Amino acid sequence: MDSSEPASGVAAMPDDGDASLIRWMLSLTPEARLAVLQGFVDSAAELGNGRGT
Amino acid sequence: MVAAPRFKDALEILAKHRVDLVVVGGVAAVLNGAPIATFDLDVVHARSPDNLDRLAAALTDLEARYRDPGGRNLRPEPAGLAGDGHHLLLTRCGPVDVLGQIGHGRRYEDLLPDSLAISVGSAVVRVLGLSTLIRTKEEAGREKDLAVLGILRQTLQETGEK
Repeated sequence: MDSSEPASGVAAMPDDGDASLIRWMLSLTPEARLAVLQGFVDSAAELGNGRGT
Repeated sequence: MVAAPRFKDALEILAKHRVDLVVVGGVAAVLNGAPIATFDLDVVHARSPDNLDRLAAALTDLEARYRDPGGRNLRPEPAGLAGDGHHLLLTRCGPVDVLGQIGHGRRYEDLLPDSLAISVGSAVVRVLGLSTLIRTKEEAGREKDLAVLGILRQTLQETGEK
């Protein structure tokens, strides 16, 4: 179940380069980081095979 | 047809055969928390005779063949894996690069003290730490290494390590 909340009242964040992305990756376990990479590779392969949406 | 990378499966097979190695390159960067992409698994292996035999068995399990531009079907042999060179392979778990050394002549024994034990699936693998990974990429100095240095340094900074 999606437990997210609407972000009303939250201002857009300034461009921080890749810092927020790095912090998000660092918040994951190493195995979850590898799963992120695997997901990227799988998506790229699907696109290459013409199965992308 | 070239098999797509399956990093966890490749690492589990190498671990199943008890191969002494250190994961380096892009997969090591990701396991350390750097948000980069890569399509191959790079490892530096110990070159003792016993480990070469275990590595060869793992590579047979992985159905490894050299990425030969001439299209020949060449499988790696223990004797060939004993040198300093790079063995660029295709396996049933995607591209795997088996490297005798990286950077300025850094072998397995040089990298092991700067590695971390990380659990991946059923395997526990040694992964090169981020600061040494950065140094080896600086030493290699190739375009593809230099291209990721910025994000690796930023990741190291975020971890608070030096």
